[in-house]
Amino acid sequence: MHRRGVGAGAIAKKKLTEARYKERGTVLAEDQIVQMSKQLETFKSNLEEFASKHKQEIRKSSQFRVQFQEMCATIGVDPLASGKGFWSEMLGVGDFYYELGVQIIEVCLALKHRNGGLITLDELHHRVLKGRGKFAQDVSQDDLVRAIKKLKVMGNGFGMIPVGGSYLVQSVPAELNMDHTVVLQLAEKKGYVSVSEIRESLKWERERACHVLDHLLKEGLAWLDSQASGEPQYWLPALFSELTSRGQSV
Amino acid sequence: MSFDWPWQYNFPPFFTLQPNVDTRQKQLAAWCSLALSYCRHHKLYTLDIMEVQECPVFNHKNIDRKLSTEAILIVFEELRKKGNLEWLDKNKTQCLVMWRRPEEWGKLIYQWVSKNGMVNTVFTLYELANGDDTESEEFHGLEEWMLIRSLQALQTDGKAEVITMDDGKGVKFF
Repeated sequence: MHRRGVGAGAIAKKKLTEARYKERGTVLAEDQIVQMSKQLETFKSNLEEFASKHKQEIRKSSQFRVQFQEMCATIGVDPLASGKGFWSEMLGVGDFYYELGVQIIEVCLALKHRNGGLITLDELHHRVLKGRGKFAQDVSQDDLVRAIKKLKVMGNGFGMIPVGGSYLVQSVPAELNMDHTVVLQLAEKKGYVSVSEIRESLKWERERACHVLDHLLKEGLAWLDSQASGEPQYWLPALFSELTSRGQSV
Repeated sequence: MSFDWPWQYNFPPFFTLQPNVDTRQKQLAAWCSLALSYCRHHKLYTLDIMEVQECPVFNHKNIDRKLSTEAILIVFEELRKKGNLEWLDKNKTQCLVMWRRPEEWGKLIYQWVSKNGMVNTVFTLYELANGDDTESEEFHGLEEWMLIRSLQALQTDGKAEVITMDDGKGVKFF
């Protein structure tokens, strides 16, 4: 296939020729330019071959996607950087994550009335897989994390809070600062937390603990249980489903 | 057929009246729905406040949580506003639960009557609600007060007429 002379190699050649005349200090030999052009062409056709061979695998295998992403990272390429462009068009990687992002938003919206916009990555994964059905493509938690990162960049109010070795995915722009996050992490173990637990684990003043808990109540992320023995407990629906809905169809 | 408890039933805070207004709204809506479903499942038509407190719906022994009398009354007030509940006395100790409104019952009864080609026949109330013929129908076992209201709804529509007979009430369908 003969290029029209507008490819990357031709532009590079033109620029180098101009540089040669403008800056006498840096001069590249004619044959070096020819060599670079040839290398660029080879590189490009190798990529095209790679793309057509592995397009199917990228859509089918989550393991392959992880390795592919890591490879891209080492050569400084982000296949999800722009919606259009060689990578996403040739390989369809962008499509896959875009569709997954839409699915994630749907699941979060559907459950928002219950958990206030906070969901564990596990439950999100469980529901996304269920939504895709038995014969659909495999989706890993790594895929979800990448899709969420894209959503975050696009400004959808998404965020991820590290808790207990995994994440809580936030899908509404509730204002959560470090104090709130830390209490969420504390609550992750049992699904609830109390003022004395916070004071004991984090060494905070009572007022600071109460302030955070009140905020969680206000944001609809936590419910009050005043019948617990000892002192009131603050339960998070987001963490509750995780504990009891395994195997349920609801 | 066993009753399907909603997720909230196992969630301890569900039995505490929530301080946050938005959360409380969701909570009350869920309670109304649960109370009606439960009554429908067990075919309960009248409730006594004292008895109801010990009922599994409001007293979940497994998780050691129960809805307070105050909260139960708040839930019942919501149901009353929606037209699903009526107090029988001023002191609010007994109430009627209408998990199905009289108009809806009337429609069901009339459907059965016309399906069986029994229009223009006279039935006693007993036959209708407790007779062998209606055993498999949903309205079988309907309590008299509700049955009468349902028939009155049909009467308003011109589909039936409630008549008084020697030993009780009856109804003719048109």
